Amino acid sequence: MEKVILVRYAEIHLKGLNRPFFERLLVDRIKQALNPVHASVEREQGRIFVYGIPEENIPECTDRLCRVFGIHSISVACCVEKTWDAVRAAAISEVEPFANRVDAPTFKCFARRSDKRFSMTSEQICRELGHEILEAYPNLKVDVHHPELPVTVEIRQNNAFVYTGEVLGAGGMPVGSNGKAMLLISGGIDSPVAGYMIAKRGVMLDAVHFYSYPYTSERARDKVVELTKLVSRYAGRINLYLVPFTDIQMTIYDKCPSTETTVLMRRLMMKIAERIAKETGSLALITGESIGQVASQTIESLCVTDDAVSMPVFRPLIGFDKEEIIDKAQKIGTFETSILPYEDCCTVFVPKHPVTKPKVEKLRESEALVDFEPLIAKAVSETERMNIG
Amino acid sequence: MIYFDNSATTQTLPDAARRACRYMTEEFFNPSAAYAAAFSVEKSVNEARAFAASLIGADANEIVYTSGGTESNNAAIFGTVKNCRGKIQIVTTEIEHPSVFETAAAAAKLFNAELTYAPLNPDGTVNIDRLSEVLSQDTAFVSIMHVNNEIGSVNDLDRISAKIRALSPNAVFHSDGVQAFMKVRAKKLPVDLYSVSAHKLHAPKGVGFLYVRNGIRFSGGQIGGGQERNLRSGTTNVPGILGFDTALRAYHANETAWHAQMFRVKSRLYRNLSGLPDVLLNGPSIETGAPHILNLSFLGVRGEVLMHALERYGVLVSTGSACSSKKVGKNRILNALGITGARQEGAIRFSFCPFNTEQEADIASGIIEEQVKLLRRYKRR
Repeated sequence: MEKVILVRYAEIHLKGLNRPFFERLLVDRIKQALNPVHASVEREQGRIFVYGIPEENIPECTDRLCRVFGIHSISVACCVEKTWDAVRAAAISEVEPFANRVDAPTFKCFARRSDKRFSMTSEQICRELGHEILEAYPNLKVDVHHPELPVTVEIRQNNAFVYTGEVLGAGGMPVGSNGKAMLLISGGIDSPVAGYMIAKRGVMLDAVHFYSYPYTSERARDKVVELTKLVSRYAGRINLYLVPFTDIQMTIYDKCPSTETTVLMRRLMMKIAERIAKETGSLALITGESIGQVASQTIESLCVTDDAVSMPVFRPLIGFDKEEIIDKAQKIGTFETSILPYEDCCTVFVPKHPVTKPKVEKLRESEALVDFEPLIAKAVSETERMNIG
Repeated sequence: MIYFDNSATTQTLPDAARRACRYMTEEFFNPSAAYAAAFSVEKSVNEARAFAASLIGADANEIVYTSGGTESNNAAIFGTVKNCRGKIQIVTTEIEHPSVFETAAAAAKLFNAELTYAPLNPDGTVNIDRLSEVLSQDTAFVSIMHVNNEIGSVNDLDRISAKIRALSPNAVFHSDGVQAFMKVRAKKLPVDLYSVSAHKLHAPKGVGFLYVRNGIRFSGGQIGGGQERNLRSGTTNVPGILGFDTALRAYHANETAWHAQMFRVKSRLYRNLSGLPDVLLNGPSIETGAPHILNLSFLGVRGEVLMHALERYGVLVSTGSACSSKKVGKNRILNALGITGARQEGAIRFSFCPFNTEQEADIASGIIEEQVKLLRRYKRR
């Protein structure tokens, strides 16, 4: 009996005529995710099946699939011939490990027939199978309302599948189904989560990071590369752009009002990010901002940063509390790396009392004190690109 | 490159490296084996052991080789405290290296002991007159470092020991000597346990020893093949031990000259930098501190930022704390000495070796002066 992984779609099933496009994309993403384990992936009537996985690799494949956006859930199933004997034998062997436990679970059989030519109806399959399982393991009990162990049979075109559980996937839409956006990644807790959330909606990611050589360390830079790698486990390949930012920061500090330095810095970061985004095909910017988290994220400050660019800025964490963000970061596995203590370009030069209610007009004036264009152009030209994932 | 971070680690002497290499590639035998070639290796290890012991007025059998300072400190604390019965009190200080500070806290929790911190003077030495406030008949274990790794304060182990013997006759006295051994004079150590690390002395990493005075109740750490008088099992690290031996002999032969050289470099750097505005010395005075550690605060500059700025010009130093953090007030050692706020934020540790020169100190001071001036323009305002 071959073990296969049965994959259920998330939102794709709501799609109409363009559904095959999304299905094909999801198959591609699954193939990419499983590339190291050499499995074959096939699409069949509202399901995707992964065949040919050596049994010892199944847990790893399950993990990998749980990071592919577009998947609602997966089940590790026994793939057998479409005969009653084969289905019965598979079900009995699937249930065996549970039946031998001291606290044997209650169970219920479910059946789904997409091939109506099969000689038994779904109801008959359930009834007969329940009977067979009880015969084989008299210590098990049926609970039709709240079964602890659902035993499911799916009779499909070519084969029958029997499985006992279901693991939830990451949900969302397959990456690449919704264009590309540029994530501003700092090395903190929020931005990787923001990237994850937008990628979940099918958006391909690129990322841009600003560093203040020589005042920020190699380790700080390495941390950002590491975080980008962690995000790319979900989002697929990411181009990471590393922008030298020291000259701009120092100019702001020399020439502009000290209380506005942080907001000005953010405006310039947005401008540079937008420029790189336009050159590389991203249609929007992504930040990890949430209203009121720090002085530069008050609603006034957000308006001022928005004013610096014409591209849409996605802020998926806008309504999240810090605790909720941390919780999410822990779930996606970026938290531990995010809290490594290195100075980043935002903490190297910070004013004691940043303005919390900046005015757009005023900031435009302050920004006009310096001709930033040559500095921006220089930063962009010295930007380094890394291919991650 | 100007390397002023010798308290983190030192460059291995070429002779020491060659000797270590020889005992890996040629005389690679396990000294516990029965044949003559192995016995010859064993003899070399024992000669090294006897030599190391002679430097602190100990017997060869009082030296237990370990993997270094952290293991020595762990073994010293657990190997003693686990033998104690009844009411146990552990005394240490708040400015110990984490391998004592954290280990003492863990041992206290595990063995239900009371943990007390000895009062300190502002220069980072233990306040000996006030030791009576913490020492009692119940004190079972005392751990007080010989030289502090961040500010270079030197404790008077003789006077501390006398006080402990008088007030806590049952106590075992351990001292972490990682930053002190061979760098401050100690012909005869008045302690029961003393931790030493080789790589701070131009020897390879991964080796050190714990001095265990004969007659104390100590049951060691690792269990296994019974090496090191059954106090620390594990195949003898012959290349490490013999590389260490070569470095130690070099240090011993040049001790006075090397101390003087480190002190000259330290004094020179201090003289050059203390003239700058808002530069403060942390810890003991130049004369009373260890010859190889200088801790200065540059007010208005963040230590980590200055450190990276200096790195760009090839000057390698470290910030006050080994584990720096964005959070101000995270440096436990400076905190304990009341050094907080901007003074803590701007702290830099310079640590020297005998091969540093006054010329290096001059070049480094020039670069530091320039960078401090530059960075102060961008201080929080």
